Parts: sequence; structure tokens; C-alpha cells
Amino acid sequence: METTDKIARRLALLEGIDLPPADLEAIAAEVADLDRVVAELEAFGRSTPWMSQQTQPGKKD
Amino acid sequence: MNRAEVLELNLTDLSRRLAAREVSSTESVSAALDRLEQIESKLNAFITVLREPAIAEAKKVDEAIDRGDYRGPLHGVPVTIKDMFETAGVRTTGGSKILKDWLPENDSALVEKLRAAGAIIIGKTNLDEFGHGGTSTLSHFGPVHNPWNPERIAGGSSGGSAAAVAALIGPLSYGTETGSSVRRPASYCGITGFKPTFGIISRQGSFRGAWSQDHVGLFARSVKDITLGLDPVAGFDVRDPASVQQETPAYTAHLNPDVKNLRIGVLRPFLDSVNSEVRQAFEAALKAFAGAGCAIVDLDVPELRYAAMTSMLTSSAESAGINRHWFREHHRDFVPHVARGIAAGMTITASEYLTAQKARQRIREALRAVYEKVAIIASPTTARVAPPLADGVKGNGDDTRHASANHSNLLRFPSMLGLPGCSVPCGINSEYLPIGMQLIGAWFNDQTVLNLAAAYQSATDWHTKRPAL
Repeated sequence: METTDKIARRLALLEGIDLPPADLEAIAAEVADLDRVVAELEAFGRSTPWMSQQTQPGKKD
Repeated sequence: MNRAEVLELNLTDLSRRLAAREVSSTESVSAALDRLEQIESKLNAFITVLREPAIAEAKKVDEAIDRGDYRGPLHGVPVTIKDMFETAGVRTTGGSKILKDWLPENDSALVEKLRAAGAIIIGKTNLDEFGHGGTSTLSHFGPVHNPWNPERIAGGSSGGSAAAVAALIGPLSYGTETGSSVRRPASYCGITGFKPTFGIISRQGSFRGAWSQDHVGLFARSVKDITLGLDPVAGFDVRDPASVQQETPAYTAHLNPDVKNLRIGVLRPFLDSVNSEVRQAFEAALKAFAGAGCAIVDLDVPELRYAAMTSMLTSSAESAGINRHWFREHHRDFVPHVARGIAAGMTITASEYLTAQKARQRIREALRAVYEKVAIIASPTTARVAPPLADGVKGNGDDTRHASANHSNLLRFPSMLGLPGCSVPCGINSEYLPIGMQLIGAWFNDQTVLNLAAAYQSATDWHTKRPAL
């Protein structure tokens, strides 16, 4: 997928929020390298088991 | 004592004198408020000041103590709190236009405990909006200025709290930390800042930045002062899902500066980007530790190169989840830089967030192994001293997008993993700006961190230096 498509895919998640073009441009710059960040973290964490967390009710003293 | 002498008293000395009736709470609170009035135009450290209620409360405290009804070290002490903590009947804004006039009905857990201890809240301090930032320039109420040089930032997001303590506006302040928001401002403002293990202090009634990384922390002029401020507010709270069962806090009673044979790890590969004067001050601190009988152990933890990225992705996604509702209705009312960050977080998918959690677990396991070899990891708190306000948010030099041995990883990993951390002053540079060092311990080894910091402060006097303001 082209980079512009990737950014567009992310920006689509902001649907319904009325953002002016200048803000969208700034946000696009913020998210531009998120795919790369995620890919690097995915490779880094690959061998780690998925975490399972449960929230137990706290004891009262 | 005259007003200047009262202002100079640190918490330990002020508490003793209040108990001995050598100083009254009214004198102490009035001195702090007068100091605030005198210099606040240079600092912008406060959003709300509680002059009349605080003085009225101080008078009642004086009567109580005169009757023999003394509650402990915080009784009658003027304290300040970051404007992230709900305070009943007192404007609580989060540094945001969205809540600029909000009056909570209830106190947060922190405020409940401070009131029970008899502390007197004199003001709500300025911050990056809802804790989103590392500069304290991203506030609807304007930026906080550093007392050492008002053209420099105080650091964030708890900059107002750090600036207040550094400027002698009360000996104690409470803040929050999600990325580095206690340790960085403590370092930039030349004071002691402590963030305990995740879950030690209840976060109930404070705004969430990122629920799995948010901590309550505190600022004071010495480690002994920190323990006096920590004991009354630590403890289990069923209302905070992250709160941990713990014994009755007694950090002050167990403070012990004998740290012989303590092993201190130094992550040398991560120090290459540190400014030379900061590095020099840090190396001198290591010599002081060696002189106290500690063993200095050079380390590398390659997994830490991913800490800043992992922390960034986690907090961005969690923050977006927290602010989702408000953002849809009020996105124009957020500080623009904060709004962009929340929007970016809203584009992170659930599976991407979970990917970051796997990375976080790998880093957690790596640190667990490290803490079997050393008790503390020490480093400069920040790679540079407080940058100019004119440099904006980029002045901190943070890099949370690249897996490298950059200092941002050292700033972010303690809060990401919930480790206890203390920043102490360890030098002053050629521009008369403070340099800080952080000591990071293993989970629930808060006492060890505090003991080592106390040992350092008994051998040095950097924590006694004051800005010229």
C-alpha cells in the first residue's frame, strides 16, 4: 500500500470529526510513520507471549 | 523568624517548627502566598490561588495545634497540587479551556488524604493540558516559566508544581507522571522529584492521561521531605483499579542512607547523546556513590532501545480512548498540539495497541533480569538542561519514533513499566541551570531508591542550591 493510502486509511478513523484541512495536514504528518513504528514493534515483540490480564476485585481492609 | 527565613525552611524543618510552635501555620502559609504574589507574574506556575481559604484554614490549624491536636508532619504545611486533581468546590481545569470553570463536587483521593493530614492547599498548579506534554507550555492558561531562568521551560507536564517548589512557594507539591512528568520538571527546576511504583498512591479523582502509565508523584527540596510527603498519601484505595495492597507506609521511618555494597547499573550506550556538562555532573555523582561504598556496574539493555516507541504508542492509544468523547465534541477547544496528538492516537487500531503491549512485556522481562544483577539504574534524568521557551515542544529533543540508544528511552521506561524513580539535583551548568540525575529501582523497591537518593544528598549539597529569582 502506498504511503498516502496508509495515511488516508488512518485519517478515515477520524470520520465524523470536523477537522479543518490545516489540522488534517498536521495530523497526517503525526501519523506518517506510525506504520513503520508498529512494524518494528511487531518484529521486536514477536517471540513474546500474548499477555492475559484479568481484573480481580480489590480486597477491602 | 522573618518571612524570608520561613520561606527558606524545607518541609522537614518547617514540620518540626510547626510542631514546636516556633512558627505558626498562618505565618508559613502567608509567607508562601506572599512569595507567590511577588513572583507569579514571572513564572505563571498557578492556575488557581486559594489565598483566603488557605489563611482561614491556617488559623484553624494554629488553634488546633495549640490545643494539642497535632496530626503529623504535614499539619499546617502549605502545599500545592497540579491542577489534575479534583478539589471539591475549587476550580479544577486540567490546564484546559474545556474545564476552565469546572467545580468538582468531591475531592480526589490525594486531596482527601492531604486534608486528613492537615496540609493546607494554597493553589492549583499549571501544567500541559491534561498531562499531555513534556514542557508545561501546552496549557490554555499559558506556559510555565523556569525559576532559574524565566526564558527557559520548567519541563512538563507537572511544570507548575516543580516551579513552585523551586521558587520557595511552599516546600511540597504533588504532580502526576505518565511519560516523565515528575522527573523531567524536577530535573529542569533543580529540585527532588519522586514517582513511586505504579499503584502506591491512589489516582482516584485525577484526570487520566494513559491509564496504564499514570502515576501520582511529588516534589520537594530533599529526599527526607519527599518521604514526609509520601507517607500520608500512599496506601491502598479500592476506588483506583491500579491501587496495590501494601503495608502502612513508613518511608520516613525506614530512610537509611547506608548504601554500602548497593549495586548501581549505568546504561553507558544510552549516554552518548547527553550534553557534556550534564555527563560530567553525572560522572561526578557516580564517584560519590562509589565513595559511599556502592558498586558501579556498566550495563547495556538492548531492549530499552524500543522503550520510547512502545511508551508513545501505548500512551497515544490510551489517551485517545480516554478523550474520545470530549474530542468529538470539543476538539477545537484543546490546545492545538494536544489535539493533534489525540487525533493521531485515534488512528491507532486495537491490534496495533496490543502489538505495543507485547513489546512492553519483552522490555519488562529484560528489566526483570537486570534487577537481579543491580538494585538501581542511574542516569542523567534529561540529556540537556532546560531548553529555551522559544524552542517550543521540540526543545526537549525527545525522539519517540526510532529504536535507538537515545535518551528518550531512559526517560520513558520507568513510567511505562511502573518502576519507582527519583530525580535529584546533581549539578549546575555554566549557565547556572540545574542538572538532574535519576535513580530507578525495581518494582516495590521504593525504599531502596529513596535510601540511595538520601545517601547522595547527605554527601553533596546540590539540592540546597536555589535560583536567583
